[in-house]
Amino acid sequence: CSNFQKLLKSNDVDLKYKAALEYYEKEDYYRANQLLEQVMPLMTGREEAEKARFYYANTHYKQREYMLSAFQFRTFYETYPRSEMAEEAMFLQAKSLYNDSPDFEQDQTSTVTAMESIQEFLVRYPNSQFATEANKMFDDLSAKLDKKAFESARLYYRVRNYKSAVVAFTNFLRENASSPYSEEASYLRIDAQYRYAVDSVPNKQEERFMEAVDFYQAFIDQYPDSRFLRNAEQVYTSTQSELDKIKKNNPSNS
Amino acid sequence: SQVLNNRTQSNTIDYAQPQQYRIGGIEFTGIKFLDPTALTGIIGLKVGDEITVPGEDISRAIQKLWDQGLLGDIEVYVTRIEGNQIFLNFDLKERPRLSRFEFNGINKSQQDALREKINLIRGRTVTDAVLNQTRNVIRKYYAEKSYLNAKINIVQRPDSLIPNSVVLNIDIDRGDKVKIAEINFEGNEAFTDKKLRRQLKKTKEKRLYKLFTSSKFQRSEYENDKQLLLDFYNSEGYRDAIIVSDSVYNVSPDRLGIRIVVDEGNRYYYRNITWNGNYLYDDDYLTRLLGINKGDVYNKQELDKRLNYNPGNIDVSALYQNDGYLFFNIDPVEMTVEGDSIDIEMRVSEGPQATISKVTVTGNTKTSDHVVLREIRTLPGQKYSRDDLIRSRNELANLGYFDPETIGLNPMPNPEEGTVDINYTVTERPNDQISLSGGWGGPIGAVGTVGLALNNFSTRKLFKLSEWRPLPSGDGQRLSLNVQANGRYYQSYSFSFTEPWLGGRKRNALTASVFKTVRRDPREELDSRLNVDGAALSLGRTLNWPDNYFQLSHSLSYNRYTLRNFNLFGGFNNGTSNNISLNTTLARVSIDNPTFPRRGSNLSLSLNLTPPYSLFSDKRNNFEYIEFNKWMLDASFFMNLAGNLVLNTRAHFGFLNSYSSKTAIGPFERFRLGGNGLMGGANFFVGTEYIGLRGYDDESVINNSDPTLINTGGIAYNKFVLEARQLISPNPGATIYGLAFLEAGNSFGSYDRYDPFKLYRSGGVGVRIFMAAFGLLGFDYGWRFDDVPGRPDMKRGQFHFMIGQQIR
Repeated sequence: CSNFQKLLKSNDVDLKYKAALEYYEKEDYYRANQLLEQVMPLMTGREEAEKARFYYANTHYKQREYMLSAFQFRTFYETYPRSEMAEEAMFLQAKSLYNDSPDFEQDQTSTVTAMESIQEFLVRYPNSQFATEANKMFDDLSAKLDKKAFESARLYYRVRNYKSAVVAFTNFLRENASSPYSEEASYLRIDAQYRYAVDSVPNKQEERFMEAVDFYQAFIDQYPDSRFLRNAEQVYTSTQSELDKIKKNNPSNS
Repeated sequence: SQVLNNRTQSNTIDYAQPQQYRIGGIEFTGIKFLDPTALTGIIGLKVGDEITVPGEDISRAIQKLWDQGLLGDIEVYVTRIEGNQIFLNFDLKERPRLSRFEFNGINKSQQDALREKINLIRGRTVTDAVLNQTRNVIRKYYAEKSYLNAKINIVQRPDSLIPNSVVLNIDIDRGDKVKIAEINFEGNEAFTDKKLRRQLKKTKEKRLYKLFTSSKFQRSEYENDKQLLLDFYNSEGYRDAIIVSDSVYNVSPDRLGIRIVVDEGNRYYYRNITWNGNYLYDDDYLTRLLGINKGDVYNKQELDKRLNYNPGNIDVSALYQNDGYLFFNIDPVEMTVEGDSIDIEMRVSEGPQATISKVTVTGNTKTSDHVVLREIRTLPGQKYSRDDLIRSRNELANLGYFDPETIGLNPMPNPEEGTVDINYTVTERPNDQISLSGGWGGPIGAVGTVGLALNNFSTRKLFKLSEWRPLPSGDGQRLSLNVQANGRYYQSYSFSFTEPWLGGRKRNALTASVFKTVRRDPREELDSRLNVDGAALSLGRTLNWPDNYFQLSHSLSYNRYTLRNFNLFGGFNNGTSNNISLNTTLARVSIDNPTFPRRGSNLSLSLNLTPPYSLFSDKRNNFEYIEFNKWMLDASFFMNLAGNLVLNTRAHFGFLNSYSSKTAIGPFERFRLGGNGLMGGANFFVGTEYIGLRGYDDESVINNSDPTLINTGGIAYNKFVLEARQLISPNPGATIYGLAFLEAGNSFGSYDRYDPFKLYRSGGVGVRIFMAAFGLLGFDYGWRFDDVPGRPDMKRGQFHFMIGQQIR
């Protein structure tokens, strides 16, 4: 222990830097990080400063301190845009943000930031060796946002607030038309609309059942082989019989 | 100019015609310590790069060098041009770098505060600008603390350890605190100097008798206060009032004076108020709602409040905005000003009704979306309503997971489609409480407590280690564990779990809890012990009728008391006693904030029943199966008097009965009144209702005829409280408020002695601190007005310490 403590207290920049590199090679990222943090400000303008900064950022990354590593990698590639390591730094910055992105149930501000960084990376280095991984990361994050939007809409369905569920599913379908959840959302919208109509006052029912029919037709056009087809058809049959009943009770209306 | 031409160069750079060149070479001159390779890396230019001269590339290179903070001067020369090859020369001036800085003449905490504020970065160069900036920051820091004559001297000396580096010694002599000796006004006729001085909230004169008033001079607060002075004039109808001039002058080295010259102008009054553009409501109705009459003093502030937002009271906008008219707009226009009378026309634009489209939450870094969204009352497809928005804010605040003072409501209207998206922003705050305490005292010796209360737990994430941060949280479940032990005498274990939305569909809260306590008395020769074990299950739900603030909950609980040679009550030393009871509570809770409620009320009626054994069998031992029915009524109202001053009025009643007149009321579940209301007496493990009455000894207030039950408690009680609360610090980490109270209560041993007007009264003051990690702590001083019979030596004034939120 004492050796590291001595190094920490030493005033010799070069010695500290050398020791930091040794710790880094030995994958003792915590100690490397401590030393680099001390020497970095005193090394600006020297040739080694570039490497020191990259290593410093990477020690945060390796210790899973993604917030810090994202910031440090950004500082790196903004300071040394021509560096050979700039591409990797930019990728690791995006990856730090990617790793830091929370579960879909929490606030997604950092997910959006991560997606922006990935896009920025792909625009600057379209032929990068990391491009495949970056694309996959982007798809993951975008799927996460889709899931969040879908689950928020489905919450209203779950708490049986069918009117709100219909509005929320409609918004979801409009904004995430190509999402993997669209099919389910489209089906649930029919079901929610049907249940909403069932609970409605008699003079609004016909209009609302008709709306369910519209939703069903939109669903069938878009997903002719859906796995929800059977369920959707059942709702459609129920809707038809409800409409029949309404027509029988009010022959004058039609 | 960007690129300087070398004097010896023949073909000059023409600034009117930027040209493309290829870099033929870059050289750095004037550097002593810096490394040219590193500098090339920084400037982002390489030999062979295509650049435009003059152009962006060189500016960017200069900027990048400058950003390093190492150089005092940067000049770029063109050494020569050969064909389309350009040779650049960066002539740099190095500056010494900062290696360390030290403060002298001030204490450690101020040093730390200044270190936060000043922007000295080690490794950067020291320039005059940096020094000046540092000096200004320090001067400003002390000026805000009213040290207007602070002297700052910054000394540079070379650092012997690192070449080309300097150490800064910052010497500070903050001098004397400057206070305000006098504040004078000129030109004021309508109001006295004294009245005007009172309007300056943070700028006050130094007076010996004003012990708690700060008389510091702070420039920013002073500017604020001048605006407050004008606001005051405006609110009194003097809408032309201006401050003609004001001056701050030295009276003595540590005292200054302020002179403010005002021109009051005329006082104005309302004359005719007319309405235009209103189709939904007629003029009379709107005028009545506005509540401003002809002849009232003109007050723009009050008018805006009554039109746009008047917390707690109705305003004109609320009328429209609670019915979906989000795009509603009202513009009061002064039509004519004649003498001192003003005619106003209200230009109303009602607009279409807006439907809510999307509802989103941001800022929930810990709590799951569905936990937040399910509390929100603005639902997609509904008409927009401002009341629902505010109600949602209160519901979110009441969850306790977020800082109630920073909950943001952002309606984002989309006029083309007639819809509105609503975004709620929240800030998470810590709400898990961990308590670890130990103590030594009294006859029982050492006591240790370990408690853990997780208020936003998630059982779903319990087996997903990756979601632990640092504990599985975010689903709004509550889990609490408590262990209290004193080796020889006493042990207690309790556990409880709550799921607020059982099944995820409705607000059905399920709580399950178990506890066990063991008490022994090792001083007795016989083995003497009392075990109390219990379990309870409760289910609560929100009702929609009569309104959706109502809650109904049922709970079933079972407690078993096992005694061995333990003298609990006369004639009952050995055996088992069972208490099975069903509790039903109907409550209405509409408070706006759980830690410091400003408005709303909290009403609760509860009934606690055991099966009526005595009606079926007369052989029952009164102790074997405990039998009673208990009624409790609690009412608490909050009223915002002004700003952060709140009046809390409370009334509490409790009655304990038996099922038939033949059975006496047993010793269980009785009321014990007095003191801080915390459990702490000799029988605290037996079902007993402890109710505080400040100013009296703990559990002392009892009005009983039967001497054997004098220590058991009463069978009926009532208590009334009037409490004024002033919020001192709204900081969510430590919310502090002060209070002054008057209260009265009594507990009665039998119904023939019950008299709701025979009360023991007291008054006093106190303070409450809510800390997220500890819960609520309180300290009160109570003074009793009445004597309790049989307690001649009770102190008149008493301090009370309290832990936790008290309902009664």
